[in-house]
Amino acid sequence: MLILAKSSYAAIQKDTTAKKATNPPGLITGKVVDEDNRALKGVKIVINGRGDSSKTDLAGHFSVSAKTGDKLEFTYPNHYVNDVTINNAADTLSVRLLDHYLKSPETIDVLYGTINKANELGSISTIYNNQITTTPGPTYIYALPGQLAGLYTQQTSGFTSAQNVAILQHFLTSTEVNYAPAHNIIPSDNTEFTLTSRGQFVTTVIDGIQQNIAAIDPSSIESISILKDALSTILLGINSSKPVLLITTKKPDLGDPRITFTTEAGVQQSLGLPNDPLPAYQWAYLYNEALQNDGKPAFYTNADIEAYRNHSDPYGHPDVNWSKLLLKSYSPLITDKLNVSGGTETARYYVSLGYLDQGGIFNEAPGLDYSTNNNISRYTLNSNISVDVTKNLNVDLQMYGRVQQMFEPGSGYASILTNIFTTPNNAYPVYNPDGSFGGSSTISNFTNNLLSQAQYSGYTQTNIKDVLVNLDLNYKLNNVTQGLSFKAKGNLAIESQVYITRNQQNNAYGYAIVDSAVKLSPVGTTTPLTNVFATELSARYSFAQAALNYDRQFGKNRFGGQLLYDTKSSVVSYDLASVTTDKALKVNYGYDDKYLFEGAINNSSYNRYTPGHQSGWFYAAGLGWQMGKEDFMKNIKWIDSWKWRLTYGKTGDNSNAGYYTYKQTFTSGGGYPQGLNYGSGSGYEEVTPIADPSLSWANADKLDFGTDISLLHDHLQIEADYYHEKYYNLVTTRGATIELLGTAYPQENIGINLYKGGELTLTYKNNIDNFNYFITGNGSLVSSKVLYFDEQPQKYPWNAHTGLPVTAIYGYKNIGFYSVEDVAKHAATIAGYSAQPGDLKYADLNGDGVIDQYDQTAIGGLKPLVFYGGTIGFNYKGLSFSVILQGVFNRQVSVDNSYDAPFQGLGSLGTGASGQAYANAVGRWTPETASTATLPRLSIVQDEANGNNVQMSSFYVKSGDYFRVKNAELGYELPLRWAKSLRLSGIRVFVNGENLFTVAGYRGYPGYDPEVNTVGAYPIQRVINAGLTVKL
Amino acid sequence: MMKNYKIILLLVGAVSLVTACKKYETFPIAQITIDRVFDPRDSLGTNAYAFLENVYATMLNGHNRVGGDYLDAATDDAVSSAASSSNQVTQLSTDAYNSGTFADGAGDNVWANYYSGIRQANIFIANIGVVPVEATLPKHPGISMKYAWKNEARFLRAYFYFELVKRYGGVPLLGDKVYNVTDNLALPRNTFSDCINYIVSECNAIKGDSILQAPYASTANYGRVTNAAVLALKAKVLLYAASPLFNGTTLVKDAGTGQGPRNTTNAAIVGYPSADPNRWQLAASAAQDVINLGVFSLDQNGFQDIFLTQNNPELIFIRQGDNGYNVESNNGPIGFPSAVSKGVTSPTQNLVNAFPMISGLNINDPNGHYNPDSPYARRDPRLLYTVFVNGQQWLNTNLQLYQGGQSIPNSGVQQTISGYYLHKFMGHSEALNSYAAHSEDWVIFRYAEMLLDYAEAENEAVGPNAADYQVLKTIRGRAGIAAGSDGNYGIQSLSSITQDSLRSAIHNERRIEFAFEEQRFFDLRRWKVAPAYMDQQRLGLQLISNGQLTYNYVPILPAIFKINSFTPKQYLQPIPYGEVVKNPQMQQNPGW
Repeated sequence: MLILAKSSYAAIQKDTTAKKATNPPGLITGKVVDEDNRALKGVKIVINGRGDSSKTDLAGHFSVSAKTGDKLEFTYPNHYVNDVTINNAADTLSVRLLDHYLKSPETIDVLYGTINKANELGSISTIYNNQITTTPGPTYIYALPGQLAGLYTQQTSGFTSAQNVAILQHFLTSTEVNYAPAHNIIPSDNTEFTLTSRGQFVTTVIDGIQQNIAAIDPSSIESISILKDALSTILLGINSSKPVLLITTKKPDLGDPRITFTTEAGVQQSLGLPNDPLPAYQWAYLYNEALQNDGKPAFYTNADIEAYRNHSDPYGHPDVNWSKLLLKSYSPLITDKLNVSGGTETARYYVSLGYLDQGGIFNEAPGLDYSTNNNISRYTLNSNISVDVTKNLNVDLQMYGRVQQMFEPGSGYASILTNIFTTPNNAYPVYNPDGSFGGSSTISNFTNNLLSQAQYSGYTQTNIKDVLVNLDLNYKLNNVTQGLSFKAKGNLAIESQVYITRNQQNNAYGYAIVDSAVKLSPVGTTTPLTNVFATELSARYSFAQAALNYDRQFGKNRFGGQLLYDTKSSVVSYDLASVTTDKALKVNYGYDDKYLFEGAINNSSYNRYTPGHQSGWFYAAGLGWQMGKEDFMKNIKWIDSWKWRLTYGKTGDNSNAGYYTYKQTFTSGGGYPQGLNYGSGSGYEEVTPIADPSLSWANADKLDFGTDISLLHDHLQIEADYYHEKYYNLVTTRGATIELLGTAYPQENIGINLYKGGELTLTYKNNIDNFNYFITGNGSLVSSKVLYFDEQPQKYPWNAHTGLPVTAIYGYKNIGFYSVEDVAKHAATIAGYSAQPGDLKYADLNGDGVIDQYDQTAIGGLKPLVFYGGTIGFNYKGLSFSVILQGVFNRQVSVDNSYDAPFQGLGSLGTGASGQAYANAVGRWTPETASTATLPRLSIVQDEANGNNVQMSSFYVKSGDYFRVKNAELGYELPLRWAKSLRLSGIRVFVNGENLFTVAGYRGYPGYDPEVNTVGAYPIQRVINAGLTVKL
Repeated sequence: MMKNYKIILLLVGAVSLVTACKKYETFPIAQITIDRVFDPRDSLGTNAYAFLENVYATMLNGHNRVGGDYLDAATDDAVSSAASSSNQVTQLSTDAYNSGTFADGAGDNVWANYYSGIRQANIFIANIGVVPVEATLPKHPGISMKYAWKNEARFLRAYFYFELVKRYGGVPLLGDKVYNVTDNLALPRNTFSDCINYIVSECNAIKGDSILQAPYASTANYGRVTNAAVLALKAKVLLYAASPLFNGTTLVKDAGTGQGPRNTTNAAIVGYPSADPNRWQLAASAAQDVINLGVFSLDQNGFQDIFLTQNNPELIFIRQGDNGYNVESNNGPIGFPSAVSKGVTSPTQNLVNAFPMISGLNINDPNGHYNPDSPYARRDPRLLYTVFVNGQQWLNTNLQLYQGGQSIPNSGVQQTISGYYLHKFMGHSEALNSYAAHSEDWVIFRYAEMLLDYAEAENEAVGPNAADYQVLKTIRGRAGIAAGSDGNYGIQSLSSITQDSLRSAIHNERRIEFAFEEQRFFDLRRWKVAPAYMDQQRLGLQLISNGQLTYNYVPILPAIFKINSFTPKQYLQPIPYGEVVKNPQMQQNPGW
């Protein structure tokens, strides 16, 4: 790469000075092209930095008065600046301008349309194609972290979950965790990232339609925006409370066919896997210590421990690092993309084909002719044809298709990963001397050999197919009145997910020496191979929209409006259609491009509420002031523009409508074993919680105040927003749930939460000759408060949740370990428990000498969440570099205490005490290490001390802060001349990576990842990727 | 231009096709509304009957009910092998809890469960009327079976109230109303007297012919409420009402004021403020009514058989369980790879010592010839049906219940902490290699209890007489105790026995006859004798096998637990914390 880079400097210079000496004297002529080698019209050419300039014509040609030694500077919006020094005045120049990494087009996409950025009043952050394509990953969502102000991302898994693709999108503002009902699911193929903005989950809108397809080739995406304020989302009516992630795919372009082919290959490496299990001898030693702490005799003899240490008896005293045995260090990620675009004045097309193959982390058994590792292979097709049927009528047809096949081991990857996490090194040998699978029932029942689970349990194959058709119709009605147009949109999408399960369980055999002979006894069971075919999901979505648009300028007055009707229907598996309908009017007015007004009102309905109470009114309005255009600002040279904007709206949210919950229903279930043969026990019971006939949508009052400033000849841009959002009528269960009712209370519209905070984006871009550089950074703050949820009266003020952040974590306040003196003094303990030195000690807040629920209080998650991101990069004559940084602070997580409580974990029938322990166990409390201990004294789960030590307390609340080098890319656009010699329009080579480097606020043990803190999660991956893009 | 309009119309048409309307239901037909459960056109009443089944299902099955343990592990008869500060039954046993410790269903907090049962019963009672059930009552061919069903629901509701009253004292009585979210649920507690009267009047109202008659008419009806169950409930309620804890309650004074909210309680809520000895007489005659039915008898196939054989003549009312071996997998001796068990129940030495010798004499009686080196020889046969002792045959093995033995390996895996395992309720797996499935019903009323209820009430009302004395002999006779030369089964002769001695004999007989049947927890309380037993060390056996067996008796509850902890407030359970803070009318029980 370095060699390439070095040689390129010279090459690009040569490239811009072409060969034929045909210029008239005193004139320099030439042609400017873009990175697809197509003519650029309107490129501005400045000679020697002087004021006089020229522009290219339609065919990209220019001719300027210049001479040898003069420096020509070519500038064109959203492209890098290119400086060319004339070597020979006789040469015609051939100049290529490359796309800028950061774009700022004059118009931006908003919901159901585009708008001139100068007139935009909402709070919108946008990234463009070049910012999305540097991150390798199976979905475009991998490119989002750190890039959009206000969008908070958390990656909780490193692989699409194969079957549980259907997720319930619930509303974060509720203080209750939603249970996932069988109905009302919204399938999504994004199972890796949680996306929230201003504390709420986001709605994804792709090309004007709400849909949840994450598997879109990033290179076919034009832009991704986050729409955060009420005015920007109000056209979604009853579903407008959530911020909108707006995806716009590439539209067909005029001109010769552009064919772009990209091939990439990368290696993935797991992060977030505990990689330091205790060796067997150490584990056995600590296990004895735990037993001793519990007042029990040691289980392992010194000879046992010695045998574990010297590995002299691999069957009787095994020491297996399961993680090393079963997991790969590296797995592949391969993507290929082909884009074709072009067309004539009357018909244009854009076609994108994609292929992805992502490998999983499990080793496979040699000799099997089928795959048991996790794997996705996916083909996607996205095509868009735009035809001008007449001068006034444009028809646009888009089709998207996906065929995806996924595999995972028959036991399920999550179960295997959990077992790897919890199985001690000495649990059992992998194989017994006779080749049978090892197992054990000694310290616990390890009845299912891990290797057998990972490699010999068969596989599950999931097949997903989607087809999506989108028809757009635009008709200009200028002959009715100038500026009027009609737009219609129809969309139909179908999705099906089916799976085939061929799994089995092999028996495992316990190894023992009885009378100096090996005795193997079965400890598990054998389950024959299943062969199940089932449909996970079958869905049909449709959307239809009709709109009349009006936009016209009368002198200084600009009037605009949109009258809109749309209806969206989702039919998922056996549910009745879920139908949302909007009837909306949006108007805008601008005077002299300085004073801006926009308002919208939406009558929106949802069909799963009580008949007669299905629709409501939602509205929003905004004001804007282009202060920079006022006379008093015009003289300030370093200020290019300065806009103030203010929006307010009342939005709605129907996520918690449930499935026709307004009428009480009954379900057959439960029952009672009847008669002497325990037969027929069918039963009927009330569905719980019981119906709430008055259940309605939740609302939010949202205020957003922002400003956009452009300074220093547009080199420096500032965008800042403050928001204050009050969510009310939140669907939550009342506090005064008196059990005399005899059943579960329904959720009612009673909660009130407040969110406020702000976002700031700063961007600076400039160039020093051909060295184009840029830096952009964003920071966001979210603070929340539970104002009301009808909390039950609490005995002590510190028990209350009202008034605290939504994110608060509750439990006991840990105040170190019990010392010998504490125990002597009978310091407060959990009722009935007398603590031992080295146990976790909790603050007795009410001073009654007992630790109980009255001592529970908020122990974390109280500070406003701050997250930030930034991109730094440059481009020098085709050599490009960019790096995306991302971080969070004030984040606290309650870690799964099985990380910090050794020997927790698997046990048969809840009796076990046999979980794995990691290197952090060495830091446990002992009388000798009392002052430096990092964990409480060891004990066996279920025994008395662990009962005390695994209570939810601030001991398990850890910093969730982190800083990541999320992505970096180094690329080189080969000189046009080289490409031309291969009869190509362009060649680009690049290497990039993802999750390259992390600094975490808490490192429980090597391998802990701050974003993933659940046992059994698929570890997130670091990816190093290299690729080549060829343009024909 | 016209041509363009045609194109537009065509395209608009195409778009609207996407949403073109066919008729779909506005409410999912798959969701079952109340008119399909209580269906006015269903002459079989299938769904309504299924709804009644779920009212039955609200009855709790006592097997390993309290956080995985038997409630009796909260008495002096047993401890949990999982005894830790988070073990619910241990918390119950050692007063390590307050009104908020146990969530719904945890510990012995049955408040929500039984109010849910009451709601369901009320829904059934309110709606069954519209169902034209064609089947008729066996004794009244003209009358629809639905009236029997309705009476079953009324019985169950009364039984649920009794389960609440025996734990909490007076509770809110809801009548027939099915409450809704919008109704005012801040109801006050009714007095103890109101509750007893309500339950008794319900029993009186339904006891007649319009309910199934014991014994069970058919295989299919096994387990359903009969007139005998109604009478048994009445007898038991009256027995509780006559007992010292409630009959002339002093609880408000004894337990004092608690720490929680609304902690002043009216005495009338937790019992009868003034004692009335006549209440014993009512209890005795109610028990007599059951005995007089003449359709029940003690199961002569032996003590173990009561719990394994369905429809044996001793069973009056049961909560149906299943055909399986959960009792074994939860409580059986550990150490058998082919018959895995958790061994959660550790019966105490205290219980073992309560069993007399085969002669019926106490182990401390020198005439009993108790041998400390062979402590299980010549004992009441019920002992070995109740607990497993060392050397007893099980799963084709002689159990090794000594330290380091197969079933006490000290490996860190959960095992008995008393040296004994539970045997009661288990099937005949002595000579098998793995557990055999058997009936695992939970007995609510059995004939032996009616006999002992009668004997207790009669002795309290009028003192020892031939009738109550005979009960003890009958029970002991069935148990396998030798009648002895005087034919008194080891009991002091009727002519010399005092009321107090007979009371002690009856109390101890209840302890060993009904061990692990959720009687002792409440008996200790209603007799107001709990401190005498609960404040004693729970002893266990540490058996050392060293060529010969050495019996060491040691305290087994980990030292962390307070033993002499029984306080008067524990006579009643606390009303769940949330119920008191959320309901301004709700009084907490004394001392909580």
